Amino acid sequence: MTVMAPPGSTNGDGEQVLVEENLFLRTLILNRPRQLNALSFQMVSKLLELFVAYEDDCNVKLVILKGNGRAFCAGGDVAAVVRDINGGDWRLGAKFFWKEFILNYVMATYSKPQVSILNGIVMGGGAGASMHGRFRIATENSVFAMPETALGLFPDVGASYFLSRLSGFFGEYVGLTGARLDGAEMLACGLATHFVPSARLSLLEAALCKLDSGAPATISSILDEYSQQPHLKENSAYHKLAVINRCFSRRTIEEILSTLEREAVNSADNWISATIQSLQKASPTSLKISLRSIREGRLQDVGQCLTCEYRMVCHVLQGEVSKDFFEGCRAILLDKDKNPKWEPSRLEQINESMVEQYFSKVDDEEWEDLKLPAKFSFSASLLAKL
Amino acid sequence: MEPSLSPSPCLQYSPPELASPPSDFNLSDMRKLMDGHNLQDRDWLFGLMIQSKLFNPRFSGGRVFVSPDYNQSMEQQREMTMKRIHYLLDCGVFQEWLTGRGPEVEMRKFALHEVIGMYDHSLAVKLGVHYFLWGGAIQFFGTKRHHDKWLRDTENYVIKGCFAMTELGHGSNVRGIETVTTYDSKTGEFVINSPCESAQKYWIGGAANHATHTIVFSQLNINGKSEGVHAFIAQIRDTDGNICPNVRVADCGHKIGLNGVDNGRIWFDNVRIPRENLLNSVADVSPDGQYLSAIKDPDQRFAAFLAPLTSGRVTIATSAVYSSKMSLAIAIRYSLTRRAFSITPNQPEVLLLDYPSHQRRLLPLLAKTYAMSFAANYLKMIYVKRTPESNKTIHVVSSAFKAILTWHNMRTLQECREACGGQGLKTENRIGQMKGEYDVQSTFEGDNNILMQQVSKALLAEYIAVQKRNRPFKGLGLEHMNKSCPVIPSQLTSSTLRSSQFQTDIFCLRERDLLIRFAAEMSQLQAQGLSREYALLQSYQLAEDLGRAFSDRAILQTFLDAEAAVSSGPLKSMLSLLRSMHVLIILEEDASFLRYGYLSPDNAAGIRKEVTILCSELRPHALALVSSFGIPDAFLSPIAFNWIDANSWSSVQPQQGATVPL
Repeated sequence: MTVMAPPGSTNGDGEQVLVEENLFLRTLILNRPRQLNALSFQMVSKLLELFVAYEDDCNVKLVILKGNGRAFCAGGDVAAVVRDINGGDWRLGAKFFWKEFILNYVMATYSKPQVSILNGIVMGGGAGASMHGRFRIATENSVFAMPETALGLFPDVGASYFLSRLSGFFGEYVGLTGARLDGAEMLACGLATHFVPSARLSLLEAALCKLDSGAPATISSILDEYSQQPHLKENSAYHKLAVINRCFSRRTIEEILSTLEREAVNSADNWISATIQSLQKASPTSLKISLRSIREGRLQDVGQCLTCEYRMVCHVLQGEVSKDFFEGCRAILLDKDKNPKWEPSRLEQINESMVEQYFSKVDDEEWEDLKLPAKFSFSASLLAKL
Repeated sequence: MEPSLSPSPCLQYSPPELASPPSDFNLSDMRKLMDGHNLQDRDWLFGLMIQSKLFNPRFSGGRVFVSPDYNQSMEQQREMTMKRIHYLLDCGVFQEWLTGRGPEVEMRKFALHEVIGMYDHSLAVKLGVHYFLWGGAIQFFGTKRHHDKWLRDTENYVIKGCFAMTELGHGSNVRGIETVTTYDSKTGEFVINSPCESAQKYWIGGAANHATHTIVFSQLNINGKSEGVHAFIAQIRDTDGNICPNVRVADCGHKIGLNGVDNGRIWFDNVRIPRENLLNSVADVSPDGQYLSAIKDPDQRFAAFLAPLTSGRVTIATSAVYSSKMSLAIAIRYSLTRRAFSITPNQPEVLLLDYPSHQRRLLPLLAKTYAMSFAANYLKMIYVKRTPESNKTIHVVSSAFKAILTWHNMRTLQECREACGGQGLKTENRIGQMKGEYDVQSTFEGDNNILMQQVSKALLAEYIAVQKRNRPFKGLGLEHMNKSCPVIPSQLTSSTLRSSQFQTDIFCLRERDLLIRFAAEMSQLQAQGLSREYALLQSYQLAEDLGRAFSDRAILQTFLDAEAAVSSGPLKSMLSLLRSMHVLIILEEDASFLRYGYLSPDNAAGIRKEVTILCSELRPHALALVSSFGIPDAFLSPIAFNWIDANSWSSVQPQQGATVPL
């Protein structure tokens, strides 16, 4: 076994992505445990570089991605992005997302299996780094969420692709409310492909080390050996699928809210009031653009989804329609007063043409649409892995 | 010499994108132009269907496709239709369909109905009967008391409506129906009767299983005098689904398509209904039994009565266009991935769409579908902006477009089915099945041939009125008749053929000439002592040619108007190419241009050559042009994607897909 850097020894200035080489297996370890492995520009670049190199390396048949510490990955390092932008130009922020989305695309169209071990927090960018891969292992420590609407952003990193393909309208629910899911729920809804108790992870990894084939069926049978069927907790949102479908299938955010409110009248369920509350706390602009993004993403392939999300994120960074992203980052990540002042503050203040603007090309001479690496287009693995 | 046996490499699926250069026009802009309105509502509804198990999602070649299970029995298909309706109802799809007012509400309703039809024609027809026919009759023929009582409950499916107009003995000739209604002033009730077997109501969608109420079209007999056809509301089932007393219902049985719609037959045996159930917007009966109507002439009364029913023809015409789009998207995608025969030894076989003959089969139909799309958008627009003055135009245009667009669809379906070869025969590939599902469109809401005769008749009436009153033509797009007769150049170069001026001129010339000929023949026959009606029967050939001429000219106008609204660029150039193909294929195929001498045989030959050139120019854009239809992948079929994977051995093994829950 070759270890490029000792695990756990670095943070800040050290290696942010560790690489272990083992026969045909490469294990990539996100290594910023103090920041819950939040993806820095450096990490995204490194991951992209490694993934692209492994694609053509016949000595690599399988890639494992995992995190050091109690998180798999808590998201993109948006605090750093916002710092960059506040220091000058929104284009600096756009650069980060460009790189990150290209990484997401490469993972989504990768010809070799990626096994992501989600033994801890998986949020935002962390979901983007794992959900596009073939195998997603949840454990009893997994906590999944797409919390962007509470941050004034929207579920990006290809979430309009993978959320929209969840059963019924669960994707809308997860994407709009930022609801947290545990490992059992991730497995139930299809975000995870396997559930392995964390105690068995080292054995599983040892078994994968010995593999000399990257055939999905072979990997799948090994994963099956270590998997178990977890118990879905009694008050799980996944049990509310009927209500979720009834409410989150609605055409607009306003109708989703009013349907939820009608449901709340007929039931004393805490879950419904908590759901309504999280929608009321989220940025109204974020809710509207997120819903549209998920709805459009449902009918598009992953490349189209990421291209569209890139347009959206550039508009968010430009802050022409709303500066909610900066306000959200201030209130949640920087000042931590948890009391963002959204502007526009009410759903009815946001009209169609304001939403439309997020989906249009950016009016800037240097700006261009996301350029997907052609090599990965039209590959057989373009198909949904969910 | 024995050819040496060497293993030939297996065929690999190569996606249509690899056989097509990147498009130079923007696909989503083109889609916006084609769909015209409510794009997000459409996509929302596509999503609602894709996300629900009720819509029969199936995995094939790693993708999900949705379409009904046509292998289910007729009864099962009908129950599924009803379940799907309830699901869409719960999602709020039908909100405001009857309680809302105004063009925006109507356009949204049209858009959603179109999308539903792309999933399944049965589902669209079943909804069309309930909302457009039953609901529309109440809206248009009824007055406030009916609106208050029925519209909200109809919108929410508290009651299920049907529409009993057609009888065994009378279809398009509604005025000949035999059902009779009398009034009993002692009880203040109408009494409805089916006096003979030919008076049984027939093909009544919803009647066989589900409908609780029906509109009954019937002769109204007051004090021994027939006042003509009127519409009434009658209940045919109670809330538990039991047939009401004095009503008999039977099934129309299994059909060549639309088996998800429960078409039934109804007999009325002294069915009594309250006086208020007469839909009285045009005429009423007082409690003491006096017939009251502001319109004295029964002919006019009848016309005023039926005018609002045009909405049915509007939805049929537009859904025909979407059916054509589906079949072309499937057949063209397949033709960009399927190869047959090598033309040089040891070379790969040739892609179907690289055969000029295959291009000639599909690409003109593609161009025509673009034209028909603009025509349908125009029809919807004049319908939702209707005024009492525009009723005549709407009647004529909707009759013409309904006939032309539905005929075009059937032709397109057949050609696309054949273009897909054996794969076209599989129900999962949709096109073949759609032939049966859509065939009815040339018959219901007015037989196409009869509609086209009505178009010619209306044009003749207009011509005679202009002559008689010595005034210029105004309306129906006939203003070109006021100008001097267009002159067609004797030499038709490629650039002339592609100019909108020439294209407009030759269509106007044909319409003008045929209208004059038709009028002349009619007056000649009438001068010989034939009645007007008999003369019309004799002149059917000119009438048919004229009906086509009117439609082609009107459709071209909608195309030119759509094009004019687009600013210069690749999109506009593409439209102009499509328009030329649309016009030239009509010039090539319609014998009237040679028959009446609008084109010389030499010019006709030149046009045929130009069509071939246009085909080769459209070929690189074929994929982009069908992608611009905005049809989600899930609504196409396995042969539109990786059909080798979809047919692989592993795809029929039970464990497939089992590792990934979803």
